[in-house]
Amino acid sequence: MPQLKRSKGLIAMLLLVPGLIIILGVFVLPMIYMLMISLREDMGRGAWTLVSYAHLFQDSYYLEILWRTVKLSLYTVVVCLLLGYPVAMYMAQAAPKMRGLITFLILSPHLISVVIRNFGWVVILGDDGFINNTLMSLGIISGPLRLLYNELGVVIGLTDSLIVYMVLAISTSLYAIDSSLYKAAGILGASRTKQFFSITLPLSLPGIFAGTTLVFSLAMSSFVTPALMGGTSVKVLPVLAYEQMMASLDWSLGAAIAFLLLGSTILLVTIFTRLVETKRYKEVFSS
Amino acid sequence: MIHVKKRRPTVLGIITFFVVLMVVSPLLIIIPTSFTSTGALRFPPEGFSLQWYVKIFDRPEFIDSFWFSLQLALVTAVIATIIGTLAALALHKYKPRGAGMINSLLMSPLTVPSLIIGIAALLFFTRIGLAGTFIGLLLSHILISVPYVVRLVYTGLSTFDYTLERAASILGANSFRTFWDITFPIIRPAVFSGMVFAFLTSFDNVTVSLFMVSPSTTTLPMAIFSYMQESLTPLVASISSIVILLSLVFIFILERVYGLDRLFGSNSHAH
Repeated sequence: MPQLKRSKGLIAMLLLVPGLIIILGVFVLPMIYMLMISLREDMGRGAWTLVSYAHLFQDSYYLEILWRTVKLSLYTVVVCLLLGYPVAMYMAQAAPKMRGLITFLILSPHLISVVIRNFGWVVILGDDGFINNTLMSLGIISGPLRLLYNELGVVIGLTDSLIVYMVLAISTSLYAIDSSLYKAAGILGASRTKQFFSITLPLSLPGIFAGTTLVFSLAMSSFVTPALMGGTSVKVLPVLAYEQMMASLDWSLGAAIAFLLLGSTILLVTIFTRLVETKRYKEVFSS
Repeated sequence: MIHVKKRRPTVLGIITFFVVLMVVSPLLIIIPTSFTSTGALRFPPEGFSLQWYVKIFDRPEFIDSFWFSLQLALVTAVIATIIGTLAALALHKYKPRGAGMINSLLMSPLTVPSLIIGIAALLFFTRIGLAGTFIGLLLSHILISVPYVVRLVYTGLSTFDYTLERAASILGANSFRTFWDITFPIIRPAVFSGMVFAFLTSFDNVTVSLFMVSPSTTTLPMAIFSYMQESLTPLVASISSIVILLSLVFIFILERVYGLDRLFGSNSHAH
């Protein structure tokens, strides 16, 4: 029997080897190597140094870009939440067929390259685009509105890309609500508004938190949308990292920016999770 | 659920309609724009012509990168599916020691932004001499596709009844025969979906390719991305329309075979 067990373990290992080689060779080792490059002089071979990180934290130029990245990600989270919550509520109430249709319609565009979706937005939001042409022909505005190549354009593009994660996270938590709660609340005379604030909203909080952290981290690391819809005026950390790697060729600084991006995202998500959890425990203790 | 049985549109229904419109319209608007007869990127478009489809042939970089992307995505999909299916089988069937840890290791590329994966791979590949090569690009695409295949096949195996395999082996089938005749046909939808999803992951990717491509190995999304940064013409619309129609075929296959909602079950860093 132990021999059989050992041979089973051996087969499992053999089957896992190709996958593990890919993960270790193309992901784990490169990440360690990148850390080395950011922390040591002479492309990871010289003395240990924090000079690349010091460079980032001493220059207000980089800190401004970090702040802009965080700010645009927060805006995106808020817009995704405000627009995504009603959609999730509608899906929770809808018949299964309708629910399937909405899920399909908001999911399928995500299987087409973000470059192409952003191009569509350029056609909609540009100076000669759909919105400006419509508003001008109706005589509402005299000149085109600037909807693109600024922070607004980036938030619109990111919301389009990421709202699906918010909707799915919230709708999953709404599907799980026991409908007899609403029946009970109705019998006890609670209004629709009261029902929303004492049943729907509290029970959907886990979904809101999951959607928020997911949308925030994905927004922080978006490259294509800020590059195509923000233009040169809206520089964010991923765009900066790309420029350092491919144009300035300062690879130790590029590696440090990559870790600044990863570190700040993890830090902010952790702080958010901690805040949310302590609040939840407080509620448990006070009741 | 709150089953509201009302015929007139509700506020929630109206908001939902606009959000769905917002998500779908960037793609829908491209197709009519591509038939414009002028050179302006304008909506609504003026006139009707196929000139922007004809003009694609004047730009060999788009034709070349299109074929290159198709081949890359196909090779990526086949290799990632084999690697991912083997790993999922190992984890689910043999439950080796540390299966949980190995599983999180296999999923780990999904937890790190693909931009950072691209930068790290560029640095490392430069060191070992793979930077700018086809192999380097292929390896990076396999890396970001394998986790999806593992997850899909693992989920597909969760309802698999291993007594079927035991029955086959009692009846004298060897383990290869058992896999081919019993196990594989049952998990085939999951494996197939994993392959289509891996294909699309590779075919759409920009953020990893950004650091991996060279002038001779440029993917279509990269070619469009670079072109868009310099000039915005209806040429992008005609190329995009072709990609959209092609992708729709794959999306419908995925929806029929597996269901899109199951694909997006948990965290996904597709872009």
